[in-house]
Amino acid sequence: MDKILRIDVGAAGGPKATAVPVGEYAGLGGRALTSAIVSKEVPPLCHPLGGDNKLVIAPGLLSGTAASQSGRISVGCKSPLTGGIKESNSGGQPSQVLAKLGYNAIVLEGKPTSDDLYKVFINKDGVKITKDNSLKMLPNYDLIAKMKAEHGDAICCISIGPAGEMKMGAATVAFTDMELRPTRHAGRGGVGAVMGSKNIKVIVLDSTGMPVRPPKDQPKFQDANKRFVDGLKKHPVTGQGLPAYGTNVLTNILNEVGGYPTYNFKQGRFDGAAKISGETQAETETKRGGLATHGCHRGCVIQCSGTYNDKDGHFLTKQPEYETVWAHGGNCGISDLDKIAMLDFLDDNYGLDTIEMGATIAVAMEAGLAKFGDADAAIRMVKEVGKGTDLGRILGNGAAMTGKAFGVERVPVVKNQAMPAYDPRAVQGIGVTYATSPMGADHTAGYAVAQNVLKVGGDVNALKPEGQVELSRNLQIATAAIDSTGMCLFIAFAVLDQPDTFQALLDMLNAFYGLNLTGDGVTDLGKKVLKMERDFNARAGFTPQHDRLPSYFKTEKFAPHNVTFGVKDEDLDKVFNW
Amino acid sequence: MIQKKERRWSLLFYCSSRSVRTHRLSIPKGRLGSITRGDKNMLADPSAGRYPRLALMVAGPLVARFFLLLQQGVKIRRRVGCSVDVFLRQEIGAAPETIEKIQSIMLDGKPVDDIGSSLLHDGSTLALSAALPGLVGATLRRGGAYSSFRSAITYHETGKACAPREGWVRVKIFNLLMGELGPGLLQTGVLLRSSELLGFLTERAEDFGEGCSATLDGKPIDVGKLKESMESVRSDQVFLTVAVSRR
Repeated sequence: MDKILRIDVGAAGGPKATAVPVGEYAGLGGRALTSAIVSKEVPPLCHPLGGDNKLVIAPGLLSGTAASQSGRISVGCKSPLTGGIKESNSGGQPSQVLAKLGYNAIVLEGKPTSDDLYKVFINKDGVKITKDNSLKMLPNYDLIAKMKAEHGDAICCISIGPAGEMKMGAATVAFTDMELRPTRHAGRGGVGAVMGSKNIKVIVLDSTGMPVRPPKDQPKFQDANKRFVDGLKKHPVTGQGLPAYGTNVLTNILNEVGGYPTYNFKQGRFDGAAKISGETQAETETKRGGLATHGCHRGCVIQCSGTYNDKDGHFLTKQPEYETVWAHGGNCGISDLDKIAMLDFLDDNYGLDTIEMGATIAVAMEAGLAKFGDADAAIRMVKEVGKGTDLGRILGNGAAMTGKAFGVERVPVVKNQAMPAYDPRAVQGIGVTYATSPMGADHTAGYAVAQNVLKVGGDVNALKPEGQVELSRNLQIATAAIDSTGMCLFIAFAVLDQPDTFQALLDMLNAFYGLNLTGDGVTDLGKKVLKMERDFNARAGFTPQHDRLPSYFKTEKFAPHNVTFGVKDEDLDKVFNW
Repeated sequence: MIQKKERRWSLLFYCSSRSVRTHRLSIPKGRLGSITRGDKNMLADPSAGRYPRLALMVAGPLVARFFLLLQQGVKIRRRVGCSVDVFLRQEIGAAPETIEKIQSIMLDGKPVDDIGSSLLHDGSTLALSAALPGLVGATLRRGGAYSSFRSAITYHETGKACAPREGWVRVKIFNLLMGELGPGLLQTGVLLRSSELLGFLTERAEDFGEGCSATLDGKPIDVGKLKESMESVRSDQVFLTVAVSRR
């Protein structure tokens, strides 16, 4: 990996690809690379769908190697949803393949000169860009079937569905999984709309003939990778809980503690939770011949995904994640797993963020467009989005837009991005991260629980009220660092409890690149990334007042514990004081 | 009543599945504390036939299907007035290694940090989970580094320990703990809503066939007509035992 593929979509005669040396961005991967390019090259005040914005797609530092869990890929740009910098990442195959092909990143830049739609094909021989208007408005599954027919099944794809072409704020960039299905998505922030604004429908990758990237010190790398895998396998979360039930294992417990946002964040418990829990989902999947344990890319040992079949045993969608099941389930009052799975499929097919769409439908239900619990109405709404009807255009631009269009006050967003599946009144520490993350309300922004290993900011007294602010800061730093390695964020669970597993990760990076990276180096990387992102947002016009939850979270008591969000504004403003 | 109790014992004696054996092995000798086996049976038994009793014997792997009932919560009759720690060890019969696996404990919907000082009362709800992913998973761990994140809902004991007495506790068992604690709870019996059990059996009617048998209030019933039998039950709650048949 030593080059960046820049595709100028505004070049005379159609998009032109140029591979340039990685240059000043050397040593960066994943989120660190996308945020570095966006913060340096994109004017913060530009229109997100205009020619000045860029879409950056970057594999991680260890992608394309034999390192386990190294298949995450980051997508960065100025977000059409939040108006700030965005990094959204995904699993799937393309990260490994793009890295094997030698690219640190693909950058889509410029403004198209026509309405023509293009396909990009990249293999060991180079890059070929073809005009193909037959792809217009194809949903992701149909698109990938067409690519498979044209290029065979040794490929993987990065694509947008109709939502991306229509430049919607909830549009995703899809990445194919091991079965060449478009089930993995960089979901948040409308990154698919930016790809759509560049008139690039799909990037097809084929790494046939390209070897696995070799480390500088093979024996040390192999040893570190083995220790890393052993650490993941022996940890109860990465070795047992996630493989057995996936992330939806969280439904029951969030519901039990009253932190499960239900009926558009009205209450913390949902009567139908057991019907859509990870335990029920796993039983349903295995009973129908699907899989409750499956990886989203080769080299994954956690295997937190699965396949969800319909009642007749036919593939319907991949195993819906916790956030998806919550967004389309409890938050909309829906307790039918099959309907939720259908909504997941539709989101994937049209290229929509499941969190944003679930939150949007709940807001629409609160506005009276449908009754809470009406699963068929929810499905109809997502189909409206896919068709691009007037209503669909509103819904496809997210919860904030829908709230404005229909006069709803209770809209659970920060920086216009919908909150995920944990109510910030019950779990207030996560509310600090929702409020202050440069990305908008994002549960993964402070996901990496590595405080005790990284010692970011020193030892924190978690019992002090300000501990929540300090912890949120440290978690955001740790997460930014892990996102930059391109490693699956779920490794953080093993890293939390097992310092030797964290050391194994460092040893892998060091053996691969011939470095002497330490825990402090990782911390510095995380701080550097956050600083770049916050600086971009400040130049884009963001102020401390944007780092706030909607006011009703401070006043509306949340049942069953009747709590409100109690972290003071002045404490939120201290999150990034380091 | 004496006859019913004797029948129940013979049913329990009959259990020989690997899962049930595993559970029994996980209870060290004397783990039931001062409660004798007879006492335990008495405590598990809803007194004086107040509730209809459905006793199932199922083929080995099928017992796992019933674990899903545990996530919704079932009531068990045990000695209360003790700490969560004592309850888990002495009343549930959880082995030390199982207690180690119980990373998140909720008492009446609130996360518990100190299982030694949090008390079980008649009518308490106790939910148990193994380690969970994500920041929130870490936040909900008992005594975890991120417990301050949910300080607004953390359980704080305000009552005092009282003399042990019998009471009903609603237990909810989640995820990996279902396989560890489920067989024992189902074997000794759980009380649940009749409508819940009916719904459960309706969805899985075809699962129960060869190798399964059932009694309702001690009388054999056709296992193929479990749903119909449950529909005839007039009580809103039913006492269920599930054991594993030899075959």
